[in-house]
Amino acid sequence: MATVEVRDLRKRYQDFLALDGVSLKAESGQLVTLLGPSGCGKSTTLRCLAGFLEANGGDITVDGESILSTPANRRGFGVVFQNYALFPHMTVAENIGYGLKLQKLPKSEIETRVKDVMQLVRLGGLGDRLPREISGGQQQRVALARALVLKPKLLLLDEPLANLDARLRDEVRWLIRDLQQQSGITAFYVTHDQSEAMAMSDMVAVMKQGRVAQFATPREIYQKPVERYVADFTGEANFIACSSVMSVGEARYAVTAAGASLEVAGVPEITGSAELLLRPEALELTAPAAGTFQGTVTKSAFLGAALHCEIALADGSILKLTAEPNHQVETGEEVGIAIDHSHTWLMPEVAP
Amino acid sequence: MSEATSAFSNQRAVNIGFGVLIVLLYVFLMAPLVMIVGASFTNGLLIEFPPQGLSLRWYVEFFDRQDLVDGLLLSLRIGAVTAIVTMTVAMMAAMAGQVISGRLSGWFQLGMTLPLLVPELLTAVGLLFFLYKIQLAKTVMGLQMGHILMSFPYAYVSIAAAMRQVPASLEEASASMGATGWQTFRLVILPLVMPGLAMGGIFAFINSFDLYTISLLLKPLGGNTLPLALFDFLTYEFKPTAAAAATLSILLSILGVALVQKLVGLQRAF
Repeated sequence: MATVEVRDLRKRYQDFLALDGVSLKAESGQLVTLLGPSGCGKSTTLRCLAGFLEANGGDITVDGESILSTPANRRGFGVVFQNYALFPHMTVAENIGYGLKLQKLPKSEIETRVKDVMQLVRLGGLGDRLPREISGGQQQRVALARALVLKPKLLLLDEPLANLDARLRDEVRWLIRDLQQQSGITAFYVTHDQSEAMAMSDMVAVMKQGRVAQFATPREIYQKPVERYVADFTGEANFIACSSVMSVGEARYAVTAAGASLEVAGVPEITGSAELLLRPEALELTAPAAGTFQGTVTKSAFLGAALHCEIALADGSILKLTAEPNHQVETGEEVGIAIDHSHTWLMPEVAP
Repeated sequence: MSEATSAFSNQRAVNIGFGVLIVLLYVFLMAPLVMIVGASFTNGLLIEFPPQGLSLRWYVEFFDRQDLVDGLLLSLRIGAVTAIVTMTVAMMAAMAGQVISGRLSGWFQLGMTLPLLVPELLTAVGLLFFLYKIQLAKTVMGLQMGHILMSFPYAYVSIAAAMRQVPASLEEASASMGATGWQTFRLVILPLVMPGLAMGGIFAFINSFDLYTISLLLKPLGGNTLPLALFDFLTYEFKPTAAAAATLSILLSILGVALVQKLVGLQRAF
């Protein structure tokens, strides 16, 4: 539908730099997630896209044309808000039909289109209710329907699931993804929840202090993060400082980590100190002699689907590890740790 | 067990105490109204409570007195214009107040309620000098301006409170669906603040109807508002006609509140 490009976007509040050169690109039909902690600039970016905020520099283009001078009400983007922003004095059907009514479409057409979209988001039969008379999940679906019924060029979602409980969150998440893929609408999605970001997105922009730390596929930001910040934000991670780093090929390095010598893949062109990223699920418990590392179990917790352990290595670093749930471990036990080499990743201590 | 019982009876005593306090408060608030309404129906020649017999003669007398009826009509006219003008201006001010943020916002709120903080007499004197300068002293227009100034804060406080209940995201949502600023105002903001707006108008009207000091200084030549006319009247004659006029005023206020209740619902106004 539309290719959207954000180039070097800047936004400054009196003494606070909210956006410090944000660049991203959403190909037509892609869902791009802006992921990061509060204050990282993800909502600010979205609000600039929507036209609610004016950027101080940079550009936003849709299919190659700058939209910065177009006011919010003529951009033709659908926006879904965290607090839903439903009009409390209008029924569900009136909320959904609001934009169509503004376009002065015939009444019968408005009715048909509202009915169709309500079927799509499974709100059938609730048309005459007021927003306060329906549940949070239903309200969020009204908000979604209200944006989709206008067939927007671009869909902007600002933490749409943040106010829902866990069960509803899952349900609405899949609904959003299905509808977005069916209709082929390009979408930007703001969240601080990494699992949401991973599950839904074609591309993820991990944001840090008004900049994009990494813009890549969910798989890449999880398995091949460019810096520790990204690795930390995208899931459980172990980091081991490496004492010697030698390049042995393109983006491959020979390193010494916690007393073991390894050859690992990593971020290209690392110079200086580096850390090894080991995700908990890339580690396996073995007999002490069979492991790459040896250590002592300091904690273990049975979580049903998995067993979480923490293991102290000889050099003092702690490794978190996810083991098969029927594995028996005792606190204080000496164990070995085998590494799945396809899941190791070397990162510079500071992003290049 | 006994401790629980004594805690319970203490709670009971507190509840009864509060009940009595509330009843006393109501008596205190209502007593003057009951007295004046009662006195207006007297058949005697003096304002007194309890009334001597029952009659409507003082109401007839009120409508026979041209000076009092003229006062009533002028007060109604000025009150109505005051309500309409303050509602319009206070609505705009409340919307501006929403956009102003930070330290400036506090100063803005203070500025909007300034006429409440300055003694009415000083405002009246200052305004009188100003009106002389612009050739509007001693005209109905000048008096009207004074009433608008003195009533504005009441309308503003009510409307601003209603406006604060409308989250900015509603305006953004409306814009994202293609609405112009005016459409958003008409279809989203106005319906949502309507109870507060109507209440603000009523407050402004009642306040204007009741103003004395400023009216005394700014009144047009040969014209009197109802409070001025009543005071003049009472200076020479202490007759229940005044009580009848007061009762009519009370009735008018009740009618106004009932009207808002009927049109927009009072619960939503607060």
